[in-house]
Amino acid sequence: MTSTTVTGTRAGPRRAEKPRTGQLRRAEHRAAWVLVIPFCLLFLVFTLWPVLQSMFMSFTDTRARDLRTPFSVNVIGFANYAKALSDPVFLRAAANTAAFVLFGVPLTLAAALASAVALDKGITRLRGLFRLGFYTPVITSIVAVAVVWRFLLQPDSGLVNTVLGAIGLPEPNWLGDPYTALPALVAMAVWRNFGTGMIIFLAGLQSVPAALQEAAAIDGAGAWRRFWAITFPLLRPTLLFVAVTTTIGYLQFFEEPFVMTKGGPLNSTISVSMATYQQFGFGNYGLAGAMSYLIFVVIAIVTALQFRLIRER
Amino acid sequence: MTMISRRSALLGAAGLATLGLSACGRGNDTGSQPTGPGSAVSEGKATGEVTVWAMGAEGEKLGDLVEKFTAANPEVKVTVTAVPWDAAHDKFTSAIAAGTTPDAAMVGTTWMGEFVDLDALDPTPADLIDKTVFFPGAWQTTEVKGTSYAVPWYVETRLLFVRTDLASKAGFTEAKDWDQLSALAKAMQQKAGAKWGISLQPGQEGSWQQVMPFAWSNGATITDEAVTAFTFDSPEMSEAWAYYQSFFTDGVADKAPAVQSTADADFANGSVPMFFSGPWMMSAVEKVGGSGFADKYDVWPMPTRKTATSFVGGSNFGVFKAAKNRDAAWKLVQFLVDPATQVEWYGMSSDLPAVTASWQDPKLTADKRVAAFGQQLEAALAPPAISTWDQVSAKFDSLVEKVCKSGLAPAEAVKTLQQEATSIGMGQ
Repeated sequence: MTSTTVTGTRAGPRRAEKPRTGQLRRAEHRAAWVLVIPFCLLFLVFTLWPVLQSMFMSFTDTRARDLRTPFSVNVIGFANYAKALSDPVFLRAAANTAAFVLFGVPLTLAAALASAVALDKGITRLRGLFRLGFYTPVITSIVAVAVVWRFLLQPDSGLVNTVLGAIGLPEPNWLGDPYTALPALVAMAVWRNFGTGMIIFLAGLQSVPAALQEAAAIDGAGAWRRFWAITFPLLRPTLLFVAVTTTIGYLQFFEEPFVMTKGGPLNSTISVSMATYQQFGFGNYGLAGAMSYLIFVVIAIVTALQFRLIRER
Repeated sequence: MTMISRRSALLGAAGLATLGLSACGRGNDTGSQPTGPGSAVSEGKATGEVTVWAMGAEGEKLGDLVEKFTAANPEVKVTVTAVPWDAAHDKFTSAIAAGTTPDAAMVGTTWMGEFVDLDALDPTPADLIDKTVFFPGAWQTTEVKGTSYAVPWYVETRLLFVRTDLASKAGFTEAKDWDQLSALAKAMQQKAGAKWGISLQPGQEGSWQQVMPFAWSNGATITDEAVTAFTFDSPEMSEAWAYYQSFFTDGVADKAPAVQSTADADFANGSVPMFFSGPWMMSAVEKVGGSGFADKYDVWPMPTRKTATSFVGGSNFGVFKAAKNRDAAWKLVQFLVDPATQVEWYGMSSDLPAVTASWQDPKLTADKRVAAFGQQLEAALAPPAISTWDQVSAKFDSLVEKVCKSGLAPAEAVKTLQQEATSIGMGQ
């Protein structure tokens, strides 16, 4: 554009055209900016700025009373991070969250895959009904779910213990005992979340070519062998997606303990997100911000690891 | 193009960083200087517009009460906004941060320290409000560092709910002191067929409200007189915790009750015939118990140790510093704590009056159970208004849980609490 220095008075087609394209381009640029600016502004104000500010906050001693003057606080470096990592409640929460993810994610994936396979191959009658049934917990409000699960897990009259009692097994006080409260919440979370994975696995299963299956069947492979040799490897991308989303969700688990146990008994079900929430509630915004970024870092690392382990080779 | 955008992005980031850094650092502390009572309020009737927020059931009924005020002050317009309890704290703190508070509002007693810390509340004008007309424990909840920032609006306190029919089966007609309460709880289990002798909260949110009355009755305190240091680590506190723990170690109280309290149903069917709670539980147990149940129970005062002190809760009413119509707002507050208004409000909401004179009214003396709450209010305390109380009380609750459920030694628990509370501090 700047290179076209017009000299002389000769009017040629080339010279007449040049400025016009330049104008056109400028108009296009302007139109593009006009179209892009609303998004850019919204992104800057409502996405980038809060992220930057919360990160800044995590390095300061911001408390609730500083909200009016967010910059007149002291920068204290990594002190909040050090404080979070030496807080026994936060460490307990980290251990609980790790246990929740380690047991919850494989169980959820297994339940989702098993139910998807069953719906794909095994269950032919009332398939729609089962699909709806398995998915219903996902779309049901956690508050309603919590009420029902509290009834189920009641020590004296709950359905779970009635069944256990009938077959002569011990009847624990599920939510009242520090050793059984977290397993009870894992079971509830698996029940509540496997529907999402199931739907995605079902879509993945239906994209496995039938020709491959038939060829393997003709070669004499049984159903079990066909599943592990053909279906499962082809499901790898689906598995990766479900594993990553489920793990991210479970690393942030909050609702289950919040509505069922309030983190108790004896902090046996408090999660990292809940510990963070408590600190926000106390007005310790700096510390809570640091805790949030610690979760973020862990999620990033775990997700990267999963991509490395499960991705297609 | 990429070069330029990257450079400008870097410049922008650097600019942001310097902006952030150069503006950092706290200014002079303004909140720590002592504040006297609020300045005088103008004479005459209230005029102009007053905006008011109130929570829960109070928020829904306050509008009707205020009609009396507007009838007496025809030139004033009061707008009451009902705020749901669970959203209230966030709504207040963000309104304070944004400077969009109402003129006056109902303020939870445990929020006082925090709101004053945020420099949000107007000190109570001494010419308008006489502190001696209120229950002393209730007035104490309005004071932060010796200055009052609100008035007690309504109060509640905790008494011992007892199934008197079962108690007489167990051979008791009263629980005068700690030994009698323990003996009664055991006898309830052994002679009156109760599953648990008494319901006490083994930790979890709010358990401090059940433990502190025992501690106060034993002469323990939360802070020193001047509210400068915590005093959890005392023999009196430790002894009270040990007494509380004994109910669990003796198997008299349930270590792992349901998360959602079933106290009213358990009380009605006799499986847990005693618990400590406030006046709202009277209608709850009578509803569950059905007709005739009102004769089977009573509310008894706190058992005596050195004193018989209970917990006082309720809500205050305050005026915000950012109020656009301060004088009219304080006049509304003055109207709300008028003894006659307090009695009328009791009739509308069943909220107990914070003004002692209102308790002479036949409406409150007629029911002897309600009157018992009035008597207990004379000896009822609240924790001092410090902005970090939520955080300190959460530590309190989690240590109570360890004492009740996993047998942590009370002396060690109060020592830990003292350390943790001190490291949290009192804000500011």
